[in-house]
Amino acid sequence: MAQAVPVVTRADPTATRSALTEGYVSQPAVMANGEWGWLRGIGTLNLEGLTMARGELSTGGYGEGYVDRRHPHTYMHELLLGAEHAIGGADVSLFAGRGFAPFGSDDPMVRPFEKYPINHHLAQILERTVAVAAVRDGPVIGEFGTFNGDEPVGPGAPPSYRRFGDSWSARLTALPLDGVDVSGSIARVASPELPAGHGLDQSKGSVVVRFDRTSASDRRYVMLEWARTGERDHGMLITSLRSLLGEAAYCRRDIVIAARIEQTDRPEEEPLSNPFRTPRPSSDLSNLGVSRWTTGTLSVDAPALVADWLSGRPFVELERLSVAPGTPAGIFNANDRYGSSHMWMLSAGVRLHAGMMMHDRMGRYGAALPPQPGTSMRGMESHEMGGMPGMSGMPMNNSTSSMTCRL
Amino acid sequence: MPFVNRARSIAWFCAASVIAACGSDSSTGPSNANKSPCTGGTRTGPLQTLGCGLDTTRFTSEIAVHGTTAYTSTWGTRRARGNKINIWDVSQNVPLLVDSLIVPNASTTGDVAVSDDGKLLVVATEFTLGSIAIYDLADPRHPKFISQFTNDQTNPGVHTAEIGRVNGTLYAFLCIDPQGNSVPARIVIVDLSDPAAPRQVFVKQIGAPYVHDTFLRDGLLFLALWNDGMQIWDLGGGGTGGSPSDPHVLGTVKTVGGEVHNVWWYHDASGAKRYAFVGQEGPGSVGSSSFGDIHVVDVSDLMNPREVAFYHVDGAGTHNFSVDEANGVLYAAYYNGGVRAIDVRGDLGTCAANQREAANPGRCDLRLMGKELAVGLLDQPRTVYVWGVQYANNRVYASDMLNGIWTLQPAK
Repeated sequence: MAQAVPVVTRADPTATRSALTEGYVSQPAVMANGEWGWLRGIGTLNLEGLTMARGELSTGGYGEGYVDRRHPHTYMHELLLGAEHAIGGADVSLFAGRGFAPFGSDDPMVRPFEKYPINHHLAQILERTVAVAAVRDGPVIGEFGTFNGDEPVGPGAPPSYRRFGDSWSARLTALPLDGVDVSGSIARVASPELPAGHGLDQSKGSVVVRFDRTSASDRRYVMLEWARTGERDHGMLITSLRSLLGEAAYCRRDIVIAARIEQTDRPEEEPLSNPFRTPRPSSDLSNLGVSRWTTGTLSVDAPALVADWLSGRPFVELERLSVAPGTPAGIFNANDRYGSSHMWMLSAGVRLHAGMMMHDRMGRYGAALPPQPGTSMRGMESHEMGGMPGMSGMPMNNSTSSMTCRL
Repeated sequence: MPFVNRARSIAWFCAASVIAACGSDSSTGPSNANKSPCTGGTRTGPLQTLGCGLDTTRFTSEIAVHGTTAYTSTWGTRRARGNKINIWDVSQNVPLLVDSLIVPNASTTGDVAVSDDGKLLVVATEFTLGSIAIYDLADPRHPKFISQFTNDQTNPGVHTAEIGRVNGTLYAFLCIDPQGNSVPARIVIVDLSDPAAPRQVFVKQIGAPYVHDTFLRDGLLFLALWNDGMQIWDLGGGGTGGSPSDPHVLGTVKTVGGEVHNVWWYHDASGAKRYAFVGQEGPGSVGSSSFGDIHVVDVSDLMNPREVAFYHVDGAGTHNFSVDEANGVLYAAYYNGGVRAIDVRGDLGTCAANQREAANPGRCDLRLMGKELAVGLLDQPRTVYVWGVQYANNRVYASDMLNGIWTLQPAK
């Protein structure tokens, strides 16, 4: 399966203190899964390093040396080998390679919006050298993973083995109702921003409630998320960053309307002469304080245009952002930085898909994948049959009724 | 204010986007706009505020004073970038801005130094590419650009640049920022004999993860290597045959907590050279908070330096030092903790049991020993965040990131 999102975004204002309009191919990715008996293989090639090396305009976004732009992901976004087997009525799996640590919510790439939420680095841990064990027994899924704490330093960064095992995470998921899952995660991440170590360590927590249900005529999706990251020096809490996010999507007659509201703390750093970049590793005096971003996003997707194996879904997305002092406020001043404390982003583009959708719960592997709503399928089955051709960011199940609501 | 209290959380979810859309622009950082000028201090006596010169367009960083002229560098981006050096007449208590210069290709000028003969001004620049900019001080109030030294070893930035002489030759000691996964921190030593054509004589990857600062005296170089501690090199004064182009390591000490940021090797009025003062810079939030102690290291055996004492301030951390050696007073910039004056005369490693720290190796606590002499600038109505300090002209000059430059009464 392959996907790409040609998109034009206007950010007004952004880090240049002026309006900026840019276009690129976002989220170009090729995904492949394999299955040989109980062996599993998962691979995702992400080509953002080629199509948007400067980062995608995303006011409020930050991470990996980018600010107000979303950084390009690594070419080797995922490459894992695993085993999955039923043992005593439970489904058990073990995966290792580069990929997601078991923490937080699904990756934003498989959610209903083109723009990532600001909390991406609070709510997911990705592109690490991981080993993830998962057990699913009835309505309960438990996961534990160990990985390297350091973030990639660029799209071509290879998997980091030297620090493998210095960080860990665990996630417990309950499946109380069909189409509903509730998860709680914790993580300890060693020095994510200084590859050589010696940086601030992170203690992270997350609670996610997710609802995704399809009827004969429509599809409804809701996700609520709370996430917290504490940055620590020698165990002493230095900064606490929190996020609260709610998003929902409704699909009927293949038209998708989605909305998201978010309030997220962002650690402020001194930018380089390029106002969209921050030094990596950070300098010794880089913390300018914390800003608190409140965003509201509305997205509308038109029905997909399908031609054989290729589908394209036009969309438009409008986001209103507001930034205020966080705790501590430090010296960050939105008016100095942006010329305003309120911003807009308007994006339009087409979600292109080729091949069968898979990996609709990106961030979970093997036994950690909840069954598709209305089915008894679980585990790798969802990788292979989870979505629909032409499906965009919105997670998708494979029930027959969803054919009336192609996403 | 709590992040989202229970009573407000539901309302937030319903109204956040509406509020975001309908609010008005407002300042989001600390503002001094409505506060009184900087003559409003209440303190008298040691570290009493005598005057100030304001610059709230940029963040002020390091200070260097020579004669009756002070040079302050600038940092980061406020309403303008940190590419400016302010030049102040400090012949009176109230510093008077007399000129300024813009350093080419700089977004931060975090360090500034004047040569011992007062002829050269050297400015460290960040980021990509890092450099040192060298100016002629024939007219100290109006420096003239001579040259800018940069090469592939100074990329992505020169964080600090100290200057000093070894066997009569002037050198600059450049601490280079690390970059990404593949470019570690390093020190570059540059011969400034011909300031129009600086010449690199040495480079070494060092520091964990930074080599942050250096201190040169008597042919010995003290290096602040962050979590690798403080290291002493023989550049010609240690008797091991070292030189600036071939330094020899003498000794290393890992002070408690690491994060070694800066060093001052103290020569007291009697000529004793027993102690080096080490600044620790823990993580803080610029303008709001800071963390880190002053560590006292006994260097009477240069091969085996050892920490014997410390000075701690709750809720604040130290930054750069200056020592009035004739009177035995260490002045420390303490960010949100203002300026601290500490009596460093006598034996700092010997103290009563109740003045000794229980944890670690029984270090003496200078505060419990009654060594703190005075605290300056915290009486001001303005929020301060003090980067650097220098004792000169029987005055203490402090550079304050948020406000500019202050003149204080010395503690003795």
